[in-house]
Parts: sequence; structure tokens; C-alpha cells
Amino acid sequence: MPKIDVSQKDMCSLIGRKLTGEQLFDELLYAKSELDDVNGDNLKIDIKDTNRPDLWSVEGLAREIRARYKPGMPKYTIKKSGASVIVDSSVSGVRPYTVCMIAKGLKINAVIMSQLLQLQEKISGTFGANRKEVAIGVYDLDKIKFPVTFRALKPRDIKFVPLEHKNKMSADEILERHQKGKEYGHLLKGKNAYPIFVDSQGEILSMPPIINSDHSGKVTESTKDVFIECSGFSMKFLNTALNVMAAALHERGCALFSVDIVYGKKILATPDLSPKRFRVRSDYIGKVSGLSLPPKEIISLLEKAMYEAKINGKYIDLSYPAYRSDIMHERDVVEDILISYGFNKIEPAAPKLPTKGSLTRKQVLLDSLAYAMLGAGFQEILSYTLTSPDNLYAKMNTNGNAIEIEKPTSANWSVFRTWLLPGMMEFLSRNQHIEYPHNIFEIGNCILNANTETRSRDVQKLAAAVSASVVNYETISSALDAMLRNLGISYKLKACSHPSFIEGRTAEVIIGKDIAGYIGEIHPQVLNNWGLEKPVVAFEISLEEIFGMLGR
Amino acid sequence: MYELTGEGKRYLKHGLPEKRLIELIKERNGISMKDASGVLGNEFSIALQWCKKYKCIEVSHGNLILIEDKIRGIDEQTESMKDLAAGKELPEDVLQILIQRKLAEKKGEGIVERAERFAGKEIINLNTDIIKTGVWKKTRLKPYNVEAAGKTLHIGKRQPYNRFLQEARRKLVEMGFQEMTGPTIETEFWNFDALFQPQNHPSRDWTQTYSLKSTKEGSLPEKSIVERVKAAHENGGNTGSTGWQYKWDPRKAAQLMPRAHGTAVSARTMANKPDIPGKYFAILRCYRPDVIDATHGSEFNQTEGIVIDESLNFRALLGLLKEFAIEFAGTEKIKFMPDYYPFTEPSVQLSAKHPQLGWVEFGGAGIFREELTKPLGIDVPVIAWGLGIDRLAMFKLGINDIRDMFSQNLDWLRKQVIV
Repeated sequence: MPKIDVSQKDMCSLIGRKLTGEQLFDELLYAKSELDDVNGDNLKIDIKDTNRPDLWSVEGLAREIRARYKPGMPKYTIKKSGASVIVDSSVSGVRPYTVCMIAKGLKINAVIMSQLLQLQEKISGTFGANRKEVAIGVYDLDKIKFPVTFRALKPRDIKFVPLEHKNKMSADEILERHQKGKEYGHLLKGKNAYPIFVDSQGEILSMPPIINSDHSGKVTESTKDVFIECSGFSMKFLNTALNVMAAALHERGCALFSVDIVYGKKILATPDLSPKRFRVRSDYIGKVSGLSLPPKEIISLLEKAMYEAKINGKYIDLSYPAYRSDIMHERDVVEDILISYGFNKIEPAAPKLPTKGSLTRKQVLLDSLAYAMLGAGFQEILSYTLTSPDNLYAKMNTNGNAIEIEKPTSANWSVFRTWLLPGMMEFLSRNQHIEYPHNIFEIGNCILNANTETRSRDVQKLAAAVSASVVNYETISSALDAMLRNLGISYKLKACSHPSFIEGRTAEVIIGKDIAGYIGEIHPQVLNNWGLEKPVVAFEISLEEIFGMLGR
Repeated sequence: MYELTGEGKRYLKHGLPEKRLIELIKERNGISMKDASGVLGNEFSIALQWCKKYKCIEVSHGNLILIEDKIRGIDEQTESMKDLAAGKELPEDVLQILIQRKLAEKKGEGIVERAERFAGKEIINLNTDIIKTGVWKKTRLKPYNVEAAGKTLHIGKRQPYNRFLQEARRKLVEMGFQEMTGPTIETEFWNFDALFQPQNHPSRDWTQTYSLKSTKEGSLPEKSIVERVKAAHENGGNTGSTGWQYKWDPRKAAQLMPRAHGTAVSARTMANKPDIPGKYFAILRCYRPDVIDATHGSEFNQTEGIVIDESLNFRALLGLLKEFAIEFAGTEKIKFMPDYYPFTEPSVQLSAKHPQLGWVEFGGAGIFREELTKPLGIDVPVIAWGLGIDRLAMFKLGINDIRDMFSQNLDWLRKQVIV
């Protein structure tokens, strides 16, 4: 979810109205945004719609709010600049596309500067997947001699002074030593050639998606006219990004000019801010909304959402601003109508459907198991399914193969548990100062490797443990017996060895034909590993066999 | 001085019941429980109890099978009964067993004599002799300090957060929802693609969801579903949409990940011929790479579900949310706000004015996009809803840190009330 910082004063001046914090809060809701924090003039805003980059700036939010007072679609005039950018075929393997524009008459100040930087950052960062899909460069127009060429060169043939540096650096030096090179270098590393924008004098403008040159790629408060390029892999993404930038600069009073992008014999003038068109069935609006709105009202609601709308028989024909790329389906238009109408003006009408509620059979059985354990005097505990290999195996004197997470936020949360006893031991180890005996149990999901569609299997297990100054095998075997007997499940205990338990005091719990689990006295080495000072007896069984038996 | 009771004398003459049972099984080469009971009468259960204690017989399909016939304990008891009858003194442990079995008693001291010793005295504990003989009438029963609280007894209780979730499940069932389940490890297909989240969407970045280290790739479902989902992404297919306009990659969709939201299970339910009309819910563990603190966990429960029916629309969606607010937050004071989910349109956020907590963001919902429902074979509107019940759970349990929902503190668990 994009978050932006804006100045309330700046926002109100863009809207053209003085709004209090509270009024802004309400208005922002219509732009699917939330005023997260207010600090004097500084507002922190969360924008929920990840598919509307046109809203990720103070300019975009102000435009959206202004339309609620002054409905209608914004109109853009774009003059031809005469400048062109030639796309050389050498970029096809590394960063194939670019779209560009020129904006003149920028009245820049510190606020506007920081807002434009923020927008550029949000578009290339969030929308452009950290510059992978979209990188944006802004340049001082006066320093550029057109035509500009977008081409790829061998890294050793690229040398220029990167932004905020004094000396020329080679492409590879930039990747290794420049802060932006370190941050985004992985997007180029390993390629035979790196892309650059270079002007007709051979002056390098930038090496996207890494860094601009210090020569032309520096925008200061004295800059009036700017050249902007977006480069990446999808024309759809690039056009959206450029249109969003163009519309924001228009809000700042700039005059917009197109640049000819030359792809071999094809010439493309960008930005193209001519309205996009869409058609919606009138009855579909009623069907999805559940409201019967007169056509005239629908038109005026659409205008508040910055559409231009015309009734055409059974349809409504729409034009909408080119910076929006989120309208894919009639539904998207219906939502805009509903937002304009106001969600809270709609009378809720709960569906009355003849359905019958139910729990899964397993959930019902889990409850019965829990009640049997409660009756035997055990306290239920609940733990996380993510744990560490150390807890799961090493501390239990055993080993195993758990499903592991890539890049876990912490080693303590890096694997899925395959059994519950380690969680019991951890719990006991944290409560040694609490009055004994400790009788605890947990029913929980364990996630095991398996040859299934998801290469895994969820298995419900039940574990119980008793710890006190004096406990023995019978303490826990009678608890297991009580639980299974009261569920009408017959079972057998068969002496066995298990590294977590004491030899000669461990048994397999056999239910049906399967070994459902283990019961016994925990090995003193395991007690030492967990820092436990009193003996522990425990059992753990998989519930699959029981589900099978009771499910029948 | 002790002597045999009437029962003791009888056993000495005929043999201990357990001995007789063993002989009987031996004689018949195995015998059914029913037959053995017929022969031994009242003494059968005594015999069985002792034999089980000695582990000398096994019960299999209602038949008694002898495992061992030479039992030291039986011989010992028989010998000591003989000794006692002969007036010899017995070791204390053996004597105690016979007394407990009511096979021996103090010489000349029957139940009446034993009880009479308490006559005229103040007594603390009533016993069988005193009650049976009526000697209690001649005693004074010492009064207790009945106002002192009893010794703390820790009873077995459910984990409080789990109990809260059980309660939530019960409410949802009452509202007509069926429970659904799905795997913890999912393919991206069910977690994202089937929900019309494009493969280059920011939410599919590794900073937003986990992936797996060892086994990375799972299997995709049947081809027809995959083809329809692919078409919806690339050009809208037959869903009336333009789609996302990019090349959809089945390898990316087959990547495995821990389920990041319960909606993955809703997608599976829709693809699996659900009831129409149908109402479904799930409370499921979900996983995201959040750094763990008082308000974030890497692992958390999501409560969500779907409603499927031809009649559904946005007003119905708001109506459903209002019902949830009444049922779960106990309030009719609600506000709706526009919201965004990649898989619903329109989308809405529900705020409810909780009687104590004030306004809380309580749920998110929407109508599933047709780009999502149609490829899964559903041609009617589907409402998707999610409820933030953890906030209510924390309020109810009086905790401020979400980690305490999985409390490791036994003292706290013991102190929780069960109403």
C-alpha cells in the first residue's frame, strides 16, 4: 500500500479550496485513501488502491477531490516539441522500451520538488517493481541536444559523471561503488550491454534503471523545463507511468509537449493523453449495485468520478482520463459510480438465503478430543506452527526434515513444525516458576513433506505432557488411556526406542494398523537441552487414524 | 491378633477367585467371558480384576486367554490365609492385603466392635462402620471452619483464544455458513493467480509473502481451469474484461508458498462445485513476512468466507456486513468506506462502533471480479468477506499484544475465566 507525505497547504491550494483536516479525511476516503497521521501541515496518507498510481501523489489526490466539487473529465493539450528519441535495436535484449515527454514552465520550489521526487519514487518503486518494470528519469531540458538515442553499450564503453559525483566513472564502477548502483545494480548485472540515453553531442544523460548523469540529470530549483523518460519492458506500464507524471505536471501548471519516439520505421508521439473509451450496459449497473438509479443521476455520478458519459440506447458510452489503467471491466465503472453516490447513503439489504451451516467433521471431532483431555484435567495451550530446526529436532535429541521458509524474518520462525512435543517442552521451560504439576495439551496442525499437489500434507496431532516433582510412565499412560477409551478407540502400546524418550520407558501408540505416535518419559538429555529441572512424561499422536475411525 | 473373615474362610476352602478362573481357563483351554462369568458368578469380576493386575490373562474378542498360570501373588495370598487360619502371625504387608480384601479382620472384632470404639467421642471423619451400624448417633461430629476457601484446584480448560475462535465458528454456523478447509502450503496459483492477481503485482514480491526454500514447485490443477485463468489474465478470456495484458507464466503459478490469505481456500471452494446458494467460511492460519511485534505476526488467523447466489449485489454485501457487525461487534452503528482488493470490485471496508472500543476497522469485503469467478466455473455473483475478529479477541481477553493470543504463560492461562 503506497504511503505518501504531503503538505496540507499545498494540497488545498491544488484542490482550490480550504479544507480542514477532518474534511480532508472524509474526502480522502473517496479516493480510497486514509489520513494516517497529521503533524502540523504535514499529512501522512495511505493509498489503498495499488492499481491506481494516478492517486499516489498530492497532485493526483487533489485532482480526484476537486472533481467532487467541479465534476468533469480533465482535458489536456499537448503540443509537438519537435524533439525525438531514437530507440536503437541494441536495447531489445536489456531494456527494450521507452516513452518520453517534455514539460515547460515549471515553477519549482522545495515543496513541489519533494512532491515530484516522491511521485517519481512511488511510480518506479511500487508500480515499477523497484525500477525493474519502470524506471523514470527527469532531466534539465536546456542541457540536452536532440535527437537523443536510447542504446545499449558494452559496460566498458560507458563512462560518465553520475549524479552528485565529481568524477567520471565506468559503468561497472557505478554498479560497484555508487549508492544507487549497489541498490539497483542487480537489474543489469550479467548483461552483455547496459542501456544508456545519449544526446546528439555524445553526452550521456543516464544509465537506466540505475542513475542519471550529473550533467543533464540534475533538476534544481532554477530548472524551468524538463525532459522525462520512462524505460522498461511493457509499453502498457510505461505509458501509464508517463501519463501519470504528465497529468501531475499539468496540475503544477506546466505546458506539456510530446516527443517522437523512433522505433525503426515506426514513430510514436508520447505522451498520448487523449481520453480512453469504454462502454457499460445500463442494466448491469443496477444488477451489480442493487440500486435503481435514473440515467441522469448515473451520468452526474460518473462526471464526479471524472468520466465523460453519454447514454447510447441500452449502453452508456464513456471517456475517461488516459492516466487510468485500471478500468478493465464494467465492474470497475460500477464501483466508481457507487463511490460517487456514497456507500453510506445505500440502505443495506442482507441476503436471505436458505443455507444450512456446518462445521467440518474434523472440527467436530477435534472438539470431542479436547473435551476428553479437559476431563482428564489438562490445560489446553496454543502455539505457532512456525518454529526453528533447533527446537524441532536438535533440542529433542533427534533429527528430521521440515518444510523450510526462504528468507525467514527470523531463524525462530523458519520451519513448519512436524510435531507438537517441542512446543510442549518450550512451554514447560517457560513456566518453571509456576505451581506444579503442569498438565498441558495441544491439538494442532503439523505440516509434513508429502507427494501431493502442494508437496505437503497438513496433519492434525494431539500432544500432552505432565511435569511434576514425581511423575512416571503410568501418569501419562492413564491419561492417554482415558482419552482414547472415552472416545471408544481401542489401541495398543508396544515397547520401542525413541531418542526423545528414556529407553525402556517408551512405547509406540498403535491405533488400527498404524503407529499413531509415541508415549513415554522424556529423556533427561532433552530435559537438560530445554533447561527443565523436573521430569516430564508425554505422548503425541497423529489424529488421522482416529478421524478415519470416528468419521465412519 | 487377626483371623480370617467368613469370605476368607470360604476362599481358603474353595480357592481364591483368581486362582479358580485360571484353573477354569486351563481346564477348558480358553473360555468366553460369558461362560466364565456363569461358572464363577459374583466372584468373576473380582477374579478378572486380579488377573488383569497380574497380567496373566488377555481378553481377545470376548474370550479369555491364559498367558501365565504360575502367579506368585496368588500362591502368597493362599499360603498366608493358611498361616492365619493356623494361628500364625503374618508379615505386615501381606496382612494388609488380606485386610483390604476383607479376607482378614481383628480377632473378635467385627464391624460393631470397631464402630463402638467411637461411641461417645467427637469424631472428624465418618467411616463405613460408623454409618452402617448407626453408631454415629452416639458421636459428635466435629464442626469445620467452613468459611475457609478450598485449596486451589487447577481444572482443565481450553486455551482462551482458541475458545474465542470456537465461539466465532459457532456464530458463523448459526448464520448458515459451512466451514471450508485447504492446505497450509499453497501454490501461487490458488493464492494469487486464481484470484486474478497479476504475476507482476507488487503484493507478489518476496517482501510481502513467503516462499519455500527446499521444494519450490507444486502442481497446477486440471488444464481447463488453468487455461481459463491464463486467458483471464492475458486478455480477459470470456469474462468481459481486457485482462492485465501480459504473458502469464504457468511456472510462476506453480511456485509453492505458505498461504498468505484465506481467500486461497475460497478460490479452491469455488473451483470445487460449491452449493448455489451457498455460504462458506474458514478460520485459517496465514503467513506473511512481517517482523514480529505487538501488532504484527508472521503467522496469524484470518476469518473469511464467501456467499454465492444469483440474487447478490452491493446492497446485499452491505447487508451482510451489517449482520456481521451486529453478531460479532454487538453494534448496529457502522460506516462503509471504499477499499481496494485486487480480487473484488466493488470493494468496501467496514468500520463498526464497538460499545467499548469505539470505531474499529472490522472487516473488508467485496464482490469477486468476474475475471476470477468465471474461470473457476461460477456464473453468479460471489461476495467475498473477511472479518478482523482478532481485535475483538484481544479486547475480550484483555490483552494488548497479539503474541499473547498464543500465550506461553501458564499462570495467565490458569487465571482465565471460562465464561
